[in-house]
Amino acid sequence: MELAIGIILGCCALGAGMAMIAGIGPGIGEGNAVAKACEAIGRQPESRSAVTTTMLMGCAVAETTGLYALVIAILLIFLAPGRLVNILVETMNTLG
Amino acid sequence: MKKLDETVKKETLYIAAWTVILSAVMESVFLVTGLWKPDVLFGNLLAVFTAVLNFLLMGVTIQKAVGRDEKDAANMMRFSQSARMFMQLALTALGVFLFNPAAAVIPLFFPRIAITFRPLFDKKKSGTEE
Repeated sequence: MELAIGIILGCCALGAGMAMIAGIGPGIGEGNAVAKACEAIGRQPESRSAVTTTMLMGCAVAETTGLYALVIAILLIFLAPGRLVNILVETMNTLG
Repeated sequence: MKKLDETVKKETLYIAAWTVILSAVMESVFLVTGLWKPDVLFGNLLAVFTAVLNFLLMGVTIQKAVGRDEKDAANMMRFSQSARMFMQLALTALGVFLFNPAAAVIPLFFPRIAITFRPLFDKKKSGTEE
């Protein structure tokens, strides 16, 4: 029983860590977008406001991908272990 | 401290307004389904605060990065994204742990929904200007 609970907790932690790998992508993407925006503003300084608005919205959209990973990780850390252990205990009780 | 850029201020207000409106809709859904409890409201408030603070910090970073050279700007944005992700992780974990998990997580996606609606309002504005 302890071994099964340990495996469940370990797998949840491992899954949360793996989910957070998706958090790397938005950072790289946002960095590239901002670098290109700096280049564009350097060429045409009068377009600063329009470029900033578009970039803000683009970065917010890009960040949603990371947010999905974050939510999955949080659910795996805080909610999944308790529920899975409960299911395991109930199953063990039913089987006797 | 540098003053907040007018564009960043305007966009943050737009996102904040939409997040509050969508949160009100979510609260009413909880009320109608009979699942409403005070922890739903507290979780929602914390999540709205997190979502708007994240957007504001992103705007401030972009405002600061725009004046720098390309490499510096990219590194600054990457560091900011990691820091904001940790901030969101901490605040959302607090919300999930102390309050209603659904109410503490769902409002984080409201800025994305607000951005989806944005072209509709831009079209309307440009239509009235013409």
